[in-house]
Amino acid sequence: MNSGLKGILNSTTIADRLLLFILILLSSSGVVFVKEILPKGRTVQIEADSLPVYRLPIDEEKTVSVKGPHGNTIVEIKNHKVRIIESPCPNKLCIQQGWIESGAVVCLPNRVVVIIGDIDSKDRKVVDAVT
Amino acid sequence: MINKFKVKSLKLKVFLLFTFYFSLFTFLCACTPQKEKVYRKTKILMDTLVTISVVSNSKGDAEKAIDAAFSEIEKLEKLLNFFSPDSEVSLINKNAGISEVKVSPDTLNILDKALSVSEKTDGAFDVTIGPVITLYDFHKKIRPEENAIKKNLPLVNYKELIITRNKSTAFLKKRGMLIDLGGISKGYAADRAVEILKKRGINSGLVSIAGDIKAFGLKPDGKSWNIGIRNPRAKGQEDDIMATIELKDMAISTSGDYERSFIIGEERYHHLLNPKTGYPAKGFRSVSIITKEGTFTDAFSTGIFVLGPEKGTKVLEAMGFDGIIVDSNGKIYTTPGIKGKVALK
Repeated sequence: MNSGLKGILNSTTIADRLLLFILILLSSSGVVFVKEILPKGRTVQIEADSLPVYRLPIDEEKTVSVKGPHGNTIVEIKNHKVRIIESPCPNKLCIQQGWIESGAVVCLPNRVVVIIGDIDSKDRKVVDAVT
Repeated sequence: MINKFKVKSLKLKVFLLFTFYFSLFTFLCACTPQKEKVYRKTKILMDTLVTISVVSNSKGDAEKAIDAAFSEIEKLEKLLNFFSPDSEVSLINKNAGISEVKVSPDTLNILDKALSVSEKTDGAFDVTIGPVITLYDFHKKIRPEENAIKKNLPLVNYKELIITRNKSTAFLKKRGMLIDLGGISKGYAADRAVEILKKRGINSGLVSIAGDIKAFGLKPDGKSWNIGIRNPRAKGQEDDIMATIELKDMAISTSGDYERSFIIGEERYHHLLNPKTGYPAKGFRSVSIITKEGTFTDAFSTGIFVLGPEKGTKVLEAMGFDGIIVDSNGKIYTTPGIKGKVALK
């Protein structure tokens, strides 16, 4: 095995080795840059009492429970949309908001915030805030 | 022998060349300054969602600056909260018609600015609206009886809120008067938060307190901050935003009849009350005001909404502010100053 590898190495020219080295260099530099170049996916960030609790991909169906000061708020992710389905708050305004595809759903009494974010795709015009 | 020596020398040269390029590559990777990024944090404060974004090349510095700005907003919330019994606003309200109350520089400052907006809008913006607005319950869809409005309306008059600068005091002349700073405090808090961020060395960022937004500097890509303006009659997610505007070193606030509102029959009851009648103002669906100070965008958006198309646009022009206005028929007007910065959808 060792002699085989030696044989291969002996049969290569300096130019071959140079090419191999450049290829290795390019591949390893890719590791550094690929993270910056590729667009990140959309995520659902769920916070309770100003602390991040979950960071979930929007393309995976999931139902999670988040504990707030008044009890548990249930958040559902389905078909690239998010909604609050159960909440201990008195007015249930967060549930009435229904499904959202962008922006945020907030339950003020139970201090739960659900934000859809991280749309870093270069060709999409991102709105930084809404008034 | 000579040949062998030449080959060895060539190998050595190639090796040295490789080592040089590899070292250069790793050196450049290490020395390239960390790229500037937008760091964002969200918190529930002032009974709403507050989001602060800052541009920084250090996550630690960004988070420290954001936390300091949140603390400032929290401090203001404690002073200005209408519902908190310990706030300075509550103290002024409790002592209405009794005695003047010593207040902090922030409370004095915001009251002073509120009174100046009241003067400029002929009382259309009035922080003494408390006795009338508390008669409405926008969550439970409760509108007050006419008699109740008539009874409380004499208690609404900004001219009877007396502030004495040299003594740092505020006084409501009549018993039962109530000040509610809900129409100005978020804009003021956005201004203060930006000041804190700048003091912490942040050169670019965005403070968003519900619909009161203040932008400064540029994003890492060199572009202005892109702000969406809500469609006052949105039917679904797609038409939720009717326009976008690019902002740099400016604040924007929107007052709309779709926020804190309910409909009974054909009538829409919303929180933008006319202090002279006690009923929701008519004429506009939404008014977005753009100028440097968040305190003014917040208060003037309410005042101009209440004044209506004729008087409201005159005040807008006189103040030299920019604005995007949707009238009661859904027609959108923009001021000439923001030409080229607004994209209607």
